[in-house]
Amino acid sequence: MLNELILRIADLTAKLFPLDCMELEFMRRAMLGLLLIAPLAALSGVQVVNSRMSFFSDAIGHSAFAGVALGMILSLPPEFTMPGLALLIGLLIMYLRRGSRLSTDTVIGIIFSAVVAFGLAIVSRNREASRGINMFLYGDILTIGDNEIALLAVLLIAFLAFQFFAWNRMLHISVNEQIAGVHRIRVPVYQYLFAGLLSLVVILCVRAVGVLLVTAILIVPAATARNFARNSRQLFFLSLAFSYVSCAGGLLISAQEWANVPAGAAIVLLACAMFAVSFVAARLRSK
Amino acid sequence: MTSPAETSSADAVRFEHVGLTLGENRILDDICAHVPRGKFTAIVGPNGAGKTTLTLAVLGQIKYTGKVVFPGLDEAGRRPRFGFVPQRLVFDRNIPMTVMDYLLSGLQCMPLFLGHSKRHVERIMRYLDEVECTRLADHAFGALSGGEIQRVLLAQALLQEPDILILDEPTSGVDFKGGLICCELLRRVREKRGFTQIMISHDLATVTAHADHVICLNHKVFGEGEPRVALTHHVLSETFGLHLGLPDLHGIPKDVRDCPEDCPLRNEHLHLHDHCHVDGAEHGCACGHDHAHGTEAAHAE
Repeated sequence: MLNELILRIADLTAKLFPLDCMELEFMRRAMLGLLLIAPLAALSGVQVVNSRMSFFSDAIGHSAFAGVALGMILSLPPEFTMPGLALLIGLLIMYLRRGSRLSTDTVIGIIFSAVVAFGLAIVSRNREASRGINMFLYGDILTIGDNEIALLAVLLIAFLAFQFFAWNRMLHISVNEQIAGVHRIRVPVYQYLFAGLLSLVVILCVRAVGVLLVTAILIVPAATARNFARNSRQLFFLSLAFSYVSCAGGLLISAQEWANVPAGAAIVLLACAMFAVSFVAARLRSK
Repeated sequence: MTSPAETSSADAVRFEHVGLTLGENRILDDICAHVPRGKFTAIVGPNGAGKTTLTLAVLGQIKYTGKVVFPGLDEAGRRPRFGFVPQRLVFDRNIPMTVMDYLLSGLQCMPLFLGHSKRHVERIMRYLDEVECTRLADHAFGALSGGEIQRVLLAQALLQEPDILILDEPTSGVDFKGGLICCELLRRVREKRGFTQIMISHDLATVTAHADHVICLNHKVFGEGEPRVALTHHVLSETFGLHLGLPDLHGIPKDVRDCPEDCPLRNEHLHLHDHCHVDGAEHGCACGHDHAHGTEAAHAE
């Protein structure tokens, strides 16, 4: 039933892009997956950039290896262990960041190293898993499954609900945590919720673009939007627009014979090209 | 020094043997003092004296020993509402948001990407008007000067409708006239809204001219009370660890310093100061009011 539902939605999605490549079922699924990923990446990216948390998302992305390793040890599928471990690590980083005198960079750096080392140590002992590691390094949106699409849809609903209630408060906190706390905003609640949701977003985005590029898919559209936006509303909608264009455009470009590049790389290259244009435009405007 | 027992419910805050140690450093040592309700209390002391830490204790942002009591509110089982203006706001100035966006982000429930609530916008404009910066509402928050940011933060603090407004050296980095305007503006708003104001300050002349109560702090309380009484030679020397002269009031414009409380144009003096004629020791002409005879004289602009 889930399979049928997803196929129908994927077919509808394909009608938005009347191109030859969209006749293929795996392309339709990939497009549906990316259209779910785009708003997740865009909106979390805005808050990652505002709160200077790109290193945080990098660490969560790299925990994918450890998630796979944990799955091997516990004999569980990585679809469950990866998000589970990412969530745990995200909350742990936030706890240490709030409770320790160490700087945020140091806390993240320690956990980052630990999870990568753990993941590599376990995965490298298993030859089969070592071969599959490329999928995590570079991403493979073309093989996205029904369960992953369903998980993305559920996460998108939860994330949009969070943004509806927390967009303003997260903006306020990103300017100054102390003032926000004194003025009766529950800073820890918002920060833990965001850390948890961001961890899940990052680990699911790894599927699309891989560990190496996962931070880019979050921060580049948000950074591009910053170059044009003059207020919070524009920032929201422009980030969404740039994220959708880079995700959908990147997938379609990667499917062209003349391009012949992985979807993840095409998505990030397109996003970076838009950033370069926005940067020049912002410079010209400021002159 | 006033002991806790000597204070009354006319106090907004009472410090009862408050202490704090970080590592081997005793930051606050058995602090006993009080903050009168509805008045302007200044906390003075040298750098590293524990002034900011003491205000953090009031705000409940730090763990300490002893008690910080809020008479009247503690009995009612509620915490005071605080307004807070930090010394300096360090933030990412490139976040795309207007002053209105920032102020709304702390008030409005509807997300900003869906628009601005008219009710909240009108309320914010009233407060921006009180701090004389309505023109900044649509400016980029990150493009404001230090003084403008302080005013916006003051408006934001007032929007909380605070019982207690805490300001951490709001006039540092602001020129002398800016500092005076800030103090006069705060006095006007305080009298209108009736909150208690606690301000950390280094500027003894400003404290003497504007504060109703002063707490001299250097890890311990060395004196407290009405500034002209409490800021003695002895207290200042002990607090600052130096032999200091008494605050020099000559730096304060005469029209402000000597203006009687009942002067109807007292609030205008700062603006009129450059244009008015001050007649020797006799106050009266700076505000166009003849205090000696209770009649209003023509303003000599």
